[in-house]
Amino acid sequence: MSSTDVPVIDDPDAPEVPLAALPTKKVKVRRRGRVAKWLAIAWLVFMTVSAIGANSLPYIPHECSGSTSTCSTAIKGDILTKRELPPSWAFWVDPVNPVLPGKPTHHGLMGTDSNGRDIFARAMLGARNSLIIAGLAITIGLAFGTLLGMVAGYFRGWADTVIENLTNVMLAFPPLLLTIFVVTFFNKPDTAEAAQRPLWPIILALVVLSIPPLTRLVRANTIAYAQRDFVTAARSLGAKRGRILFREILPNIVPTLVSFALTGMALLIIAEGGLAFLGQSVELPIPTWGKMIAEGKEKLRAGAWWISLMPAATMFLTLLSINMLGDVLSQRFNTREAIA
Amino acid sequence: MTGRPLLAGGPTQAATRQLDGGPLLEVTDLVTHFRTPRGLVRSVDGVSFTLDRGKALGIVGESGSGKTVLSRSIMGLLPKLNTERSGSVLFEGREIVDLPLKERRRIWGAEMSMIFQDPMTSLNPVMRIGKQIGESLRLHLGLSRRAARETALRLLQDVRIPEPHKRLDQYAFELSGGMRQRVMIALAMACGPTLLFADEPTTALDVTVQAQILELIGLQRTERNMSVILVTHDLGVVAGHTDEIMVMYAGRLVEKAPTKVLFANMKMPYTEALLHSIPKIDDPSHTRLNVIPGRPPDLVNPPAGCSFSPRCSFAQDRCRQEAPPLITAEHPEHVYACWYPVGSPHHRARSAELAAAAEGLVARWREPARPTCAPTATRFCVSKTW
Repeated sequence: MSSTDVPVIDDPDAPEVPLAALPTKKVKVRRRGRVAKWLAIAWLVFMTVSAIGANSLPYIPHECSGSTSTCSTAIKGDILTKRELPPSWAFWVDPVNPVLPGKPTHHGLMGTDSNGRDIFARAMLGARNSLIIAGLAITIGLAFGTLLGMVAGYFRGWADTVIENLTNVMLAFPPLLLTIFVVTFFNKPDTAEAAQRPLWPIILALVVLSIPPLTRLVRANTIAYAQRDFVTAARSLGAKRGRILFREILPNIVPTLVSFALTGMALLIIAEGGLAFLGQSVELPIPTWGKMIAEGKEKLRAGAWWISLMPAATMFLTLLSINMLGDVLSQRFNTREAIA
Repeated sequence: MTGRPLLAGGPTQAATRQLDGGPLLEVTDLVTHFRTPRGLVRSVDGVSFTLDRGKALGIVGESGSGKTVLSRSIMGLLPKLNTERSGSVLFEGREIVDLPLKERRRIWGAEMSMIFQDPMTSLNPVMRIGKQIGESLRLHLGLSRRAARETALRLLQDVRIPEPHKRLDQYAFELSGGMRQRVMIALAMACGPTLLFADEPTTALDVTVQAQILELIGLQRTERNMSVILVTHDLGVVAGHTDEIMVMYAGRLVEKAPTKVLFANMKMPYTEALLHSIPKIDDPSHTRLNVIPGRPPDLVNPPAGCSFSPRCSFAQDRCRQEAPPLITAEHPEHVYACWYPVGSPHHRARSAELAAAAEGLVARWREPARPTCAPTATRFCVSKTW
């Protein structure tokens, strides 16, 4: 309107910018951590495939497949039992092999445990349980957490008060204690036969663990989005509550949720490992990583480090990959948010 | 879909509706108070007006004068919690203040809808444009997915968006501010409402785009025979685009008149002050803006008497003690709330006084400022008094 009134700061030091056409250059957009991203994805794909197909994959010794708990390794016709063989690349470890005297033996990618079972095979099989437990737990946790969080964040009022207080109570519990309570409560002592302990108590425990933080996250996000104009706009066009919650608000939260859920899944794998280490997890013929680590701890002093370290390394790489994937996803979604 | 007869079916139905006479919207003594920890906020305090079909009403006022709350309160969009609402809103002769949510939802979008101030935030960032427009079409008119998409395309053409085909599958962040506001207008008009609230539709836009958007709203109004309530703080915006103007202050109606009458013969010093606060293009540079001193009143503890009196240059003792009622001016549709309106002997005497004082002030203020810096050929001069 009154453009003539606009003051222009009189700065004598201001450089004279030539308005002539600047040379246009092709700009190379560099992205950080691209290789790492693909490595992480490759590792996760490899773990998933191994976990699903452990029974028939060529790189897993057949003795381990199926439901046998022995999983012993055959070398030249001799069954190796109750002996720890170092991984084949650990040339500096002196293998003691009383079964085949005079012939020092290394074995496989990861060596064998104190029962002579192939650790690599067991680690791949362990992925099955660990991923199933953590994946199912985080999925169920997500479903409940999202529902509770959206109800609390959108409707507020008494529902919010109840949910928020419950969440606070749950978060105040020591997590390990909570899970041990749940697991021992549902695993009745008389049915605690080694091979019969089911998966679901541990999943339930982890679900209980994952709901409160997810609820909080969703609630906070819902509150933020519920006050945005586009929600009011949807309301002013006659949209129903369910539609507003699930079509308008939820898709906006999903990116945050997905990246958070992946981190959460990594945490649950650790939690399960911790429980297994304490002997509170599943007792199935197929191992979990935590249990394998626990089994190897007695042999650490004897120098058989690979028994604990190899499953731990597998777990570590998997967690790292999951976290990196979460990062990648959140970055991807964030760019869009930044443009908008 | 029990509400069939209620739903608007586009222009034809709107046209038949016009035959049955009576105002489209009749607001009587509408009160909207919010309970807050600080006390009761009297955002809308007894506002009454009527709006005829196909007419445009401008609601003008500063921030916090209650104009947005008024429009949302009429629609019934405000949360129930901690809101006190009373009075009557007759929409097509039907009371809608205490309508249950289900009934209100049927009206929203189909009968009345709203355009918001900031098109950056009023569109869902993760939903494609076509789908967003289609949603309410499917909801209210029961269209199929495909029909909704076709209608959405037609609506985008109606709001003059370039390359409407392409826009259907784009997200809001891919559009410019002006285009987004056009989408918002298309969204609001999708189901052929008879009443459109435009809540500061141009505030977040460039001046160049503002005019286009206002033109568009005006065009759609005449094409669809809609009534429009244009909420704004800018008298310049409403001047060319409304039939009637309502000035609000502290939640109250302080002046209302047909647009031409208002600009020719405004009565309320507040309206006059608002008009004077618009910079004029033919003023010399470095002219001071005529601001209204002070701030809008605290709606928890509104001042006694006329709520504008603490800031009014013409206020007398009477203004500070007695709230003025709405008085009808020479024009029968012109009402105002002021004891000493513009043009009254007191007002005339006082403004002469003020003008003389201002003259002296300007003279004193300008004198030393001039020689401090001389404009060069390329740069504007910045005087120290800025």
